[in-house]
Amino acid sequence: MEEQVEMVGKAFVDHYYHLFDNNRTELVSLYQPTSMLTFEGQRIQGVDDISAKLNQLPFDQCRHVISTVDSQPSAFAGGVVVFVSGCLQLHGEEHPLRFSQMFHLIPTGQGSYFVQNDMFRLNYG
Amino acid sequence: MDPDAVAKAFVEHYYSTFDANRAGLANLYQEGSMLTFEGQKIMGSQNIVAKLTSLPFQQCQHAITTVDCQPSGPAGGMLVFVSGNLQLAGEQHALKFSQMFHLMPTPQGSFYVLNDIFRLNYA
Repeated sequence: MEEQVEMVGKAFVDHYYHLFDNNRTELVSLYQPTSMLTFEGQRIQGVDDISAKLNQLPFDQCRHVISTVDSQPSAFAGGVVVFVSGCLQLHGEEHPLRFSQMFHLIPTGQGSYFVQNDMFRLNYG
Repeated sequence: MDPDAVAKAFVEHYYSTFDANRAGLANLYQEGSMLTFEGQKIMGSQNIVAKLTSLPFQQCQHAITTVDCQPSGPAGGMLVFVSGNLQLAGEQHALKFSQMFHLMPTPQGSFYVLNDIFRLNYA
């Protein structure tokens, strides 16, 4: 059970941040109408609003470097909670920003997962 | 029942219990509870409390910086995402940490911790 959950978490994290860093508009495919994002304390719900928020962040290029990924089964049939920490390098900025993020993934029924819950926080020095 | 108020009340209760009487955390976990502490996986209330009470410090103080929460689904669960500082007695600098809890309702109207993941945030 646990190994599979860890594999799901790592595969999701790789995919999510790859999309974020290379093709941010495609992130919309990972959210559904019931999805919720809390980004630095701001609450956003639903695919359109989440997509708008992520696409309007005040930087064009960025790179996430992931330090830790921890996953656990969440009690929903096949749900997974994933807890990530890492650094976010913004183009043109000298110092990367440290961040933590948690995802609650729910199976789509077609063999993949969507993000039901997403919370992001920068970790200030 | 305002979810934000529930999350804040839980966080205050959790960390004040942690800081004053770590063994008292036992009734916040159940048999199916899971803790991942700095990458180490622990399951069940007894094992979790054993881990937390055997951490290599006697006194500590958590100072919470941010608390974010969201409902996790139709079962009434709540996800709580915390960041803050952990001051250990005798240490000059506080450690920064992040932690997430997935709380599930109990029949008695409170919550227990189903999922708990803790990470220090190193520089």
